[in-house]
Amino acid sequence: MSHAQQPILDPALAPPFPQAALPMLRDTQLRKNVAHATDVIQAKRARLIAEKSDWQQLRSAAALIRDEALENLGGYLEQFETRCKARGGVVHWAADAAEARVIVLGILQEENASEVIKIKTMTSAEIQLNPHLQAAGVKVFETDLAEIILQLGELEPSHIVVPALHVNRSQVREIFARTMGLDNLSDDPQALTAAARNYLRRKFLEVPTAISGANFLIAETGAVAVVESEGNGRMCLTLPRTLITLAGIEKVLPRYGDLEVMLQVLARSATGERMNPYTSLWTGVTPGDGPQRFHVVLLDNGRSAIRTRERERQTLRCIRCGACMNACPVYRQTGGHACGSVYPGPIGAILTPQLTGMKHAQTLPFASSLCGVCYEVCPVKINIPEILIDLRAQVTDQERGKAARFFDPMYLGMRVANLLFSRAWLFHAAQWKARIGLKIFTSKDGWIHSLPSIGAKWTQTRDLRGLPKQTFHAWWKQRKQASR
Amino acid sequence: MSPTLAARAKILKCLGAGHEAGGATPSQSCPRDYIRRGSLDADGRLAKLIERLREYDAEVAECAPDGLASEIATLLARSGRNSFVAPAGVPRQWLAPGVNWKIDGESGGELATEEIERCDGVLTACFCAIADSGTIVLHHSAAEGRRVLSLLPDWHLCILRASQIVETLPEYFDRCTEIPALVTWISGPSATADIEMTRIKGVHGPRFLNVIVVKEQGMGSRE
Repeated sequence: MSHAQQPILDPALAPPFPQAALPMLRDTQLRKNVAHATDVIQAKRARLIAEKSDWQQLRSAAALIRDEALENLGGYLEQFETRCKARGGVVHWAADAAEARVIVLGILQEENASEVIKIKTMTSAEIQLNPHLQAAGVKVFETDLAEIILQLGELEPSHIVVPALHVNRSQVREIFARTMGLDNLSDDPQALTAAARNYLRRKFLEVPTAISGANFLIAETGAVAVVESEGNGRMCLTLPRTLITLAGIEKVLPRYGDLEVMLQVLARSATGERMNPYTSLWTGVTPGDGPQRFHVVLLDNGRSAIRTRERERQTLRCIRCGACMNACPVYRQTGGHACGSVYPGPIGAILTPQLTGMKHAQTLPFASSLCGVCYEVCPVKINIPEILIDLRAQVTDQERGKAARFFDPMYLGMRVANLLFSRAWLFHAAQWKARIGLKIFTSKDGWIHSLPSIGAKWTQTRDLRGLPKQTFHAWWKQRKQASR
Repeated sequence: MSPTLAARAKILKCLGAGHEAGGATPSQSCPRDYIRRGSLDADGRLAKLIERLREYDAEVAECAPDGLASEIATLLARSGRNSFVAPAGVPRQWLAPGVNWKIDGESGGELATEEIERCDGVLTACFCAIADSGTIVLHHSAAEGRRVLSLLPDWHLCILRASQIVETLPEYFDRCTEIPALVTWISGPSATADIEMTRIKGVHGPRFLNVIVVKEQGMGSRE
């Protein structure tokens, strides 16, 4: 594989974005894979959005439905709990990742489970469930094709919908051939997919315990919905004796009928399909059909705190379609690993630091050009740029007061600027000095292409316009004098 | 207090006190100005559904009500498959002779998963079909079968009456006079695009989806 070192997706341990992005930018294979995948999804999405004359109305309705759910989130969760229990489900609550891991492992131990099959769930990656279960002796089998690639190749996810989009077919072939012992495997995606099918078929039929995430929880009925493509989800939701669903508390929709909007916007945004091949909905336990023991773990892990902030609350509208990362010019260059989180891209840049209570991942809100394309493609109209700016302010407020930051060139510069901009005579003097000082760096075309020392941080990647010969103030004065 | 109850209290407190755990109230604020009702007539809906299903590589056949049994027999024979499973609720005349049938739920007996796994194909009815997205909806009634039936066999034949076709997804929700406990929305055969975004048909679910649309009296002929 082209990466020598595994990326770290734990926000508490990951290096800052600019540092983590460097190896990604040098990895031409990775950038090619990411560009190809995001181009394909974007083209498919654009074609399907164009045929939908009511797309903007659907977006507005989707945003309002999500807002309604978040407005009365406690009430809807209680309602979900009551209805799910009435249909034979068991509802657990977890305030943080550690509690959720303990609950899930506890259920598995009660079931005497030595193995568990899993549907792709980013929430389980968020709480780092797999390593916890493996350490306790439970063997975890991921069943989504992309997740199998990652699990067998010991790689990390780089996208929330197509987590292995950074891996190409020859890399997949290498992983499958090595781990499944298939020396003659070709790199044809058809053959690779068939290999995954064979690898998992017996597991589906034999492992009695499964873990899933949830795309939606329906408060009105206590039902859970899962959206997928391959049928591995249906296998996990239907065949085992026991099913554990791990869901963020924000996943609630008030009514069954709200799916008429959400299902229209989700698949189109996520994979560029009118509808994904399979969507499953179940309500508690149905005698004779599917798992007869059903647990839901409702996970907070920082979500309720996000909800209390007026502007940031819209972060929780997210339905995890990934459209923002496919469109993002930063994500398309770096891929997902540089974000140091299982939630990469623009949504990750606002979600990750907030989930950690703004204690980690503070560089992510700055890793954006604020071009606004993430907002434009978002099916639930999350104003990501607005939140990015707000989080930048929060990070700056955190740092400003720190003693260690006192001599930081940026904050030093800002303090100097503050001084200069608040006194006219100082400002004019500074302009005069800068014009003289920058003169030797300004080339004939009027641009500064290269600055020494700290100024190089700017000119490394872009040119700086040289200072004009005359300032506006000087011109204004001159004009007044001339007209006299 | 158990840890999960403590967590519950903590989370609900943070979400704000004084919630009504009552019924879901219809949203006052949400404007439903997206398209809820389609504009096509019955023939148009059928044509659109067939077009969209074929885009997913599903196979679609049409027949008159009295030609259904022979159409089923033809398709089963053409599939080259031999052992089929069907839920007990499907009409007897659908079970074409000449192949092996296993019936799930007959006289209360459910087939074992391994028995279903050994079947080459499955025959079911459906609740509804949505033309806009080429989607078949199963509510898993007696004629639609338990979820596992339409999952394990590699070949799925689904019988649909033309009157069950709606144009838009919201029209499907209008048809749900009672909210179902189990639903599967199927849009084409199982597929993945996880390797270089190349769409591959058939991963874990049925690799082949076949639909027979039974056209009622008075519908135009399209062949």
